[in-house]
Amino acid sequence: MGDQKRSFRRRLIPYGLLAPGAIWLVVFFIVPMYFMGEMSLRTGVPNTPEGFTFNWEFANYSDALSGRGDQIVRTFFYAGTATIIALLIAYPLAYAIALKVNPRWRLPLLFAVIAPFFTTYLIRTIAWETILADDSPIVDLLKTLQIIPEDGRLLATSGAVIAGLTYNFLPFMILPIYASIERIDTSLIEAGKDLYASSRQAFLRVTLPLTMPGVVAGVLLTFIPASGDYVNAEFLGGANNAMIGNRIQSTYLEQSDYPKAAALSFLMMATVLALVFIYIRFAGTEAFVGSEEEAR
Amino acid sequence: MESATATARPAVSAAPSRIWSWLRRNGFKIYAGFALAYVLIPIGVIAVFSFADASQNRDHLAFAINNGFTLKYWEHAFAVPDLNDALLTSFRLAALATLISTVIGTMMALALVRHRFWGRRASNLLLVLPMATPEIVMGASLLSLFLIYGISLGFTSLLIAHIMFCISFVVVVVRSRLIGFDRSVEDAAADLGATPLETFRYVTLPLLRPGILAAALLAFALSVDDFIVSDFNKGTTETFPIYVFGAHLRGIPVQVNVLATMLFALTVTAICVVLWQQRRAERMASVRPEQEV
Amino acid sequence: MTSKRKFRALVAAGGALAIAVVLAACGGDDVGGGDTADVTVAEGGPPSGSVLISNWPGYVDPGADGTIAQFDEQTGVKTDYKEDVNDNVVFFNKLKPQLDQGSSGGRSLFVVTDWMAKRMYDLGYLQEINHADVPTVFENILPQFEKSTTDPERKFSIPWQGGQTGIFVDTTKAPEIDSVSDLFDPKYKGKVTMLTEMRDTLPLILQSEGIKPDEATKEDWLAAIDKVREARDSGQIRRFTGNEYTEDLTSGNIVAAIGWSGDSSLIGREGVEWRRPTDGCDLFFDQAVIPVGAPNTPAALAFLNFAYTPENAAKVTDYVQYVTPVNGVQEILKKDDPPVANDPKIFPTEAELAPCSEDPDPPGSPEDVAEVEEAFQEVVSG
Repeated sequence: MGDQKRSFRRRLIPYGLLAPGAIWLVVFFIVPMYFMGEMSLRTGVPNTPEGFTFNWEFANYSDALSGRGDQIVRTFFYAGTATIIALLIAYPLAYAIALKVNPRWRLPLLFAVIAPFFTTYLIRTIAWETILADDSPIVDLLKTLQIIPEDGRLLATSGAVIAGLTYNFLPFMILPIYASIERIDTSLIEAGKDLYASSRQAFLRVTLPLTMPGVVAGVLLTFIPASGDYVNAEFLGGANNAMIGNRIQSTYLEQSDYPKAAALSFLMMATVLALVFIYIRFAGTEAFVGSEEEAR
Repeated sequence: MESATATARPAVSAAPSRIWSWLRRNGFKIYAGFALAYVLIPIGVIAVFSFADASQNRDHLAFAINNGFTLKYWEHAFAVPDLNDALLTSFRLAALATLISTVIGTMMALALVRHRFWGRRASNLLLVLPMATPEIVMGASLLSLFLIYGISLGFTSLLIAHIMFCISFVVVVVRSRLIGFDRSVEDAAADLGATPLETFRYVTLPLLRPGILAAALLAFALSVDDFIVSDFNKGTTETFPIYVFGAHLRGIPVQVNVLATMLFALTVTAICVVLWQQRRAERMASVRPEQEV
Repeated sequence: MTSKRKFRALVAAGGALAIAVVLAACGGDDVGGGDTADVTVAEGGPPSGSVLISNWPGYVDPGADGTIAQFDEQTGVKTDYKEDVNDNVVFFNKLKPQLDQGSSGGRSLFVVTDWMAKRMYDLGYLQEINHADVPTVFENILPQFEKSTTDPERKFSIPWQGGQTGIFVDTTKAPEIDSVSDLFDPKYKGKVTMLTEMRDTLPLILQSEGIKPDEATKEDWLAAIDKVREARDSGQIRRFTGNEYTEDLTSGNIVAAIGWSGDSSLIGREGVEWRRPTDGCDLFFDQAVIPVGAPNTPAALAFLNFAYTPENAAKVTDYVQYVTPVNGVQEILKKDDPPVANDPKIFPTEAELAPCSEDPDPPGSPEDVAEVEEAFQEVVSG
């Protein structure tokens, strides 16, 4: 009798743990999304007293897409490039901090890398706007060194936007990777070396696979918000560097065309989700949803 | 297979190979140094411009050092009341949101990684969705929700929104730490007679701490930084990013840079103090630091 | 996954959605529009209590000596003055859900450009203002502002400040620029910015093509948009901005920008001056309006009266450096601050202003307007 009761209680544990978060997300995310969905199927003219009425208007979706192809490709190109560069910067850095420096310096260094990101996103981006301005010392230096042409510029280019995205989302990449490198049992690496693996092989065959969950988390945490970002494009980009986020923002806030804005948003979400699922299939579902053996 | 033989090399090439091997040994540390410098560049710029004399420009930043340097904005660092209010609001908001979302998120991560239950995959999907949503969509849709249910716009609505988008990130970070977690330590504790709750409190949680801390850090940064969602749901409350954005269009008071620099310095100092304390505690408990690889 | 699990996952998803639908059904309807049927008139009376005012940044003289502080001292009202209007449409869209429900988010007064005031009034979001409640305003308002094209009887809008849209030119780099057509000269490729505000940018372009904005057809507007799009694609236009062009000018990123006459004080670089284009000009005037659901309207109206006394208006204009609607300000400033009093940007003559467009709407039905706006936004934001 007591056994049954305990096992019943045990089965409730996951639900108890899950409940607060799940309820919060349903009420404050799913429900508003439903409203969005309903709005995306309305028709009407913006800024008229009649407003928008529900009409199963799926044409909003095709309208939202038309002519947006370039911008969509551009958005994912910027976000993807920024993610890759961030990964290339963050992994060695996390590796260095977790495994290569004196353990007493680990946390200080980690915090040192993260601390700048406690100043506001906007201020950091504005600072980059200054650093990359046309007559800043850095640009002058690059021109002297002939890295950029005399009449070239760094600001208001796609490079500036990508650089901004990379910089601003770096901590999202560093933290998960660091967390997963740090908890590697280093004796596994040593075992690999004892078995005659070179440092490089040890890394590729032991360390990297073990840290994949962190890499996957980092990549996703960087790519996804970067795709939806518009602040970097607005401050650092020029007229030809707008991302899909800028378009959604202006459809919403400048045109007041809520149905089209909602449709575009859903399309964007769907695309990102599709990319995420493809990536997870590729990287392995265990890395993301937790392997089946984890559960007892 | 690395050769174990070290034949005598001609003395001529000894110096470069020494430099080379020094580089290889310290390569990572040098790289870490560069990365740190890169990360700190904008902070440097912000700090520099906190001294720029902008009195020609109505005390607003023009991002050009036309009039030389001055300390006056540091002397009057708190002279802009709206700015101070915005900063305080941001911190209060972030502290609360971090606390609540870290707790909720850690619980969710534990449930998802360690238990099999009906609805697990759906929950995973539920988690991913907020992260895949453009912030502007979240912001606008939340606003409609608040209005329809009559939740007053202001600190409360902001808090609700912030907790909402922080939860997913907390779960992802804690989860990546939980996966592959060596359960044998927990088994050992159970073998030694600890109840599941005790095992959790004295074994699991401490081992999980770095992951939870990382998640909390992330949540805090997300909340302090958030602009778009906050902008839609703030009513008349102003958070720091919202203040900066508005000010940016017409000229940022130099005090913004001053406070940002102060903040950075404070954060660094606080962390140094915490770590120094930790080091003292370690020394007193004579815990041996782990070996380097 | 197995089909049994698939089924369960579907059920779980369906369950979440069902909850969502039920919760949603408990709420009201968001129509997205308003209603001019029952417009209320703002209540008058003696001022007291506290009041929240939203305005554009830099539109009032700040500080303990400033107009707001003085107003508070004189009337005992506690004013919360927020500079959170940065863009007409963005402000409108953020407030709209609340305005639909008849609330103004606590604001008793805010200032938006005249065409936006009209749009808000048409959608039923504003209260009317009884002239008897604002005697000082109508005593001192300059004759040319007594009526306006957007609000002929001044039922709902009281002018605050205004100015002209023209071109800022960096005379140290390109002193020869003096017309809108110059901005399209490939010599300045990548060194020119334009405004995201359609009603400021496009009328100037139309005029530079010899078309009067009041007579322009929808096709004319769309053609002008095409011209801008080409300039964007070719890299001629560096970017489209709100007020941020002042930064680009200060940093030396650009040599010319379409911009607003009063922003000179925000540019920290020597040699940048505002010029009225030889081939066009555009006026804008920002209006103080009282929204529906505004608390404490007596205090808001008292504020307007206060702002329209010439001494106070002079202080505002001296700081803000935009065009004032108040009579007598120029005389006061002739004594206190002659350079400002003689500045044609701040005190333009009627003759100078006659040929200017006034931030017009594109012609046609709301559908046409939306079409033009969409075409422009598509150019400006990708």
